[in-house]
Amino acid sequence: MKHFWKIIGWLCLGLFNIFSVWGAFFLFGKGFYELSVTFFVLIVLIDYFILNKKSYPYRYMIPAVILLFILVLYPITFTIKTAFTNYGTGHIMTRQEVIDRLLTDPVYTYVPENAKEYRYEIFIRYDGIKPTNDYKVLLTSQNGEKYIMGEIKVVRMQAGKMLLGEAQMVPLDRAGLNIIKEDGNIIAIVEDGKTYRYFYSPYDPETRVNEIFFKSQVGFPVLSKVEIVDPENNRLSLRFSEDGSLRLRTVRHLYRLSLAEVQEKGKTVVKTVLFNDKTNKPLIEENGTFYDLDENGEKVAIMGYISYIGGKNFSRIFMDPTVSGPFTKIFLWNFTYAALSVLFTFVIGLSFALVLNNRTLTGKAVYRTLLIIPWAIPAFISVLIWKNGFFNETYGIINRFIITNVFKGNPLQWMTNPFWAKVAVLVVNTWLGFPYMMTVSLGALQSIPDELYEAASIDGASKSQRFWKITFPLLMTTIAPLLVGSFAFNFNNFVNIYLLTSGGPAIPNTSTPAGATDILISYTYKLAFEAGRGQDFGFASAISILIFFIVAGISFVNFKISGSFEEVNR
Amino acid sequence: MRKWLVVITAILMMLSVFAVKLTIWTSEAQVDILTKLADEFKASYGIDVEVVQVNFGDIKSKFLTAAPAGEGADIIVGAHDWVGELVANGLLEPIPILPDKDKYLPVPLKAFTFNGKLYGVPYAIDGPALIYNKDYVEEPPKTFDELIDLAKQINEEYEGEVRGFVYDYKNFYFSSYAFFGYGGYVFGEKGGKVNVKDIGLANEGAVKGLNLIKRLVDEGLLESGDNYNVMDGLFKDGQAAMIINGPWAVPGWREAGVDFAVAPIPQLEPGVDPKPFITAQGFMINAKSPNKLYAIEFLTKFIATKDVMFRIYQADPRIPSRSDVLALVDDKVTKDFADFLGTYGLPMPNVPEMAGVWGAMGDALAKALDQGIPVEQALKEAVDTILAGIK
Repeated sequence: MKHFWKIIGWLCLGLFNIFSVWGAFFLFGKGFYELSVTFFVLIVLIDYFILNKKSYPYRYMIPAVILLFILVLYPITFTIKTAFTNYGTGHIMTRQEVIDRLLTDPVYTYVPENAKEYRYEIFIRYDGIKPTNDYKVLLTSQNGEKYIMGEIKVVRMQAGKMLLGEAQMVPLDRAGLNIIKEDGNIIAIVEDGKTYRYFYSPYDPETRVNEIFFKSQVGFPVLSKVEIVDPENNRLSLRFSEDGSLRLRTVRHLYRLSLAEVQEKGKTVVKTVLFNDKTNKPLIEENGTFYDLDENGEKVAIMGYISYIGGKNFSRIFMDPTVSGPFTKIFLWNFTYAALSVLFTFVIGLSFALVLNNRTLTGKAVYRTLLIIPWAIPAFISVLIWKNGFFNETYGIINRFIITNVFKGNPLQWMTNPFWAKVAVLVVNTWLGFPYMMTVSLGALQSIPDELYEAASIDGASKSQRFWKITFPLLMTTIAPLLVGSFAFNFNNFVNIYLLTSGGPAIPNTSTPAGATDILISYTYKLAFEAGRGQDFGFASAISILIFFIVAGISFVNFKISGSFEEVNR
Repeated sequence: MRKWLVVITAILMMLSVFAVKLTIWTSEAQVDILTKLADEFKASYGIDVEVVQVNFGDIKSKFLTAAPAGEGADIIVGAHDWVGELVANGLLEPIPILPDKDKYLPVPLKAFTFNGKLYGVPYAIDGPALIYNKDYVEEPPKTFDELIDLAKQINEEYEGEVRGFVYDYKNFYFSSYAFFGYGGYVFGEKGGKVNVKDIGLANEGAVKGLNLIKRLVDEGLLESGDNYNVMDGLFKDGQAAMIINGPWAVPGWREAGVDFAVAPIPQLEPGVDPKPFITAQGFMINAKSPNKLYAIEFLTKFIATKDVMFRIYQADPRIPSRSDVLALVDDKVTKDFADFLGTYGLPMPNVPEMAGVWGAMGDALAKALDQGIPVEQALKEAVDTILAGIK
């Protein structure tokens, strides 16, 4: 029995290996190199953990390792990689994909002025009395020459579906088919004993009833994606004509690959470049975008692709005055915001915890529940309530009732004065954050042994002495790392800022969307996604890497400092 | 012989199974009617259409993720200002021929046109107009001078319990009427193409427009706490006499039992008409879909017909984009909106560069109206911000 399970185990491992190695190769072939490498490393690690006796305990870490690789390490490498590219609006495909599309996509074709038109007739094989998907296309040129459409060769695929195919025209007399005629019209074609009967032609009103079957079974799924090449090498394709019917007409590709002399770094080189077939001019490739020249010789962007741009995204953060200008201001506020948020939440949370920890207090459970509510309500809801219900300058409760009615003062400019906006942001963030600190402090307080206090009171220590000499140091050993974590969290607390003030009020005399309450993450979010032209993932990645280093640095220093509290423990 | 074959096939048509399928992504307002229409389309055209409900706000982002990978819907239903970004990413297919093109209002067609090509079949337009509560206003004001007098009168009469005039004035969308009425513009046009380097948001017209809004604030009509929620809440509670809002909010007012009517936004000064932003809603085709021709067939031969458009209107009453559909509508509110927006509405630019305009102009409005920064300076800073983002 033991052997049986062992064999099953080995089989499972074998299967797992086969599938994951195949998966990794598949991903590699599709161009997902980072993910593929991640996969390979994972497979090796998992096999090592299982096969090596010494690494027995690591087996239980396999799920964690898988998640670490897929959810943490891979996204990090992807972010780093993206930070060096121009990935964003207008640049979301690879260069190869773009060239491929420009050369083959029907959008980039045109019907020339003296386009040839062929009549087409569809012959379908019947299964009993049911039409099938097996068909022949009979083509007739304007001079009456008859051809049959040959086999379709796939030119371009996407996700297992043909996007573009190609077929030759074979003269009817050389196609080796038997033809059955009636009144001079071809009514059936016979090939290898299979009979194809006349079914549909857009020029024959009698066959109109079959139009739907033709379009849904043959015309749209297959024929519309095929270019039929006639003996003179004209490419014909189905196109909607002015009256809305599908006609087979000469199409020409707007772009073609051709050799040309190009100026590159002062030298003339012969290179394969894309040519515009209409104007016969090469396309210009600049900044990861293909440009075409229009009739007036002006550059028109056709399509962009993802290209490596080196450290441009990073240098933009520092060198571009429109970005770096308000950077210091925002950085300082960001630091203050995070620090004050931690301080306020901690002080308030600890005060409540001390009160709740008092043994003489009755109804603790009720108070504790009430005090945890701010933490329990989703921030998305409560922040909007604060914004509209409390801080609205005209209708908010604070201005309307407290300031103007009770104190008879002037309404405060919560959203338009930088100082009050900062106060508002801090108030809301403190309200949202103190329950967490309270909960944490309560736990820590309960772990402090009572004997210490007894001994202290025998020695005649006052209440404040007991707090500062016993409670606080012991508390900090457990809470200091959490404060550092809270700092890092608040440093990147995007939701609060974005929902409450959207970074506003705007800072005057800047040419960036910088606001007085903007923190780095909200400022850069605006820069990357709400300024310029839509999304700029490359720039956003560069900034998130920078923010990571800032937060990591601050946390490192903070840990060093908070490490000093640990001496109490020794 | 030929005829006989044809008849047999016609009968069999109904029995055969069709393997091809179109997918549409749309938001909840149109899902039911489109599902019904899809069934009809299948019955008469033999093509399966699957209607998938996606939140309106998620359609564009989902499409941007799925379409480049060759997945995602064949057709999406959305707003015209997505066109620029999607075309820049190579994801939209132009509509080659739109039947009855002359039956459409010019505004929605212009909205869906990008670099001279039509990228969507419009079915509705949205935009702001003046809405007034009939309990307080008998005759809507014709000019802003009249509006200011009337609003002040109402403010005094009800001692602040009812606001004469309130709207989300710090939002560029709702305040656009003043900028463009006086001759401001977002991006200039040259030979049918949008020139994003030519920004007309700090020109004489824009300054005049912003000064008009500043006057409304200075006269004490608009208050610094006004925003969309305040306006909507006050109007529903009968505490606002005149607001500026769009047709999407009509069901809410009806539910609240407000006796309202729609009027054009008043002339900025005698002879100067307001020109508000409008949004066109329409159907767009995925350029990377393998089913492009079906999608074109579905949209141009079926959806873009008068009857179907009217049925879409009945299910989701927005202002129809076709004038012959509009003629069938007997709802006065829709007609009043259509009369004003169809004549004076200006489609929001659909270029991707528009992304930077909203924030910059919002900041400019806040700076000039709240923080007391001179109008010219605030607008100039906005233009600088937009330009800095584009280069």
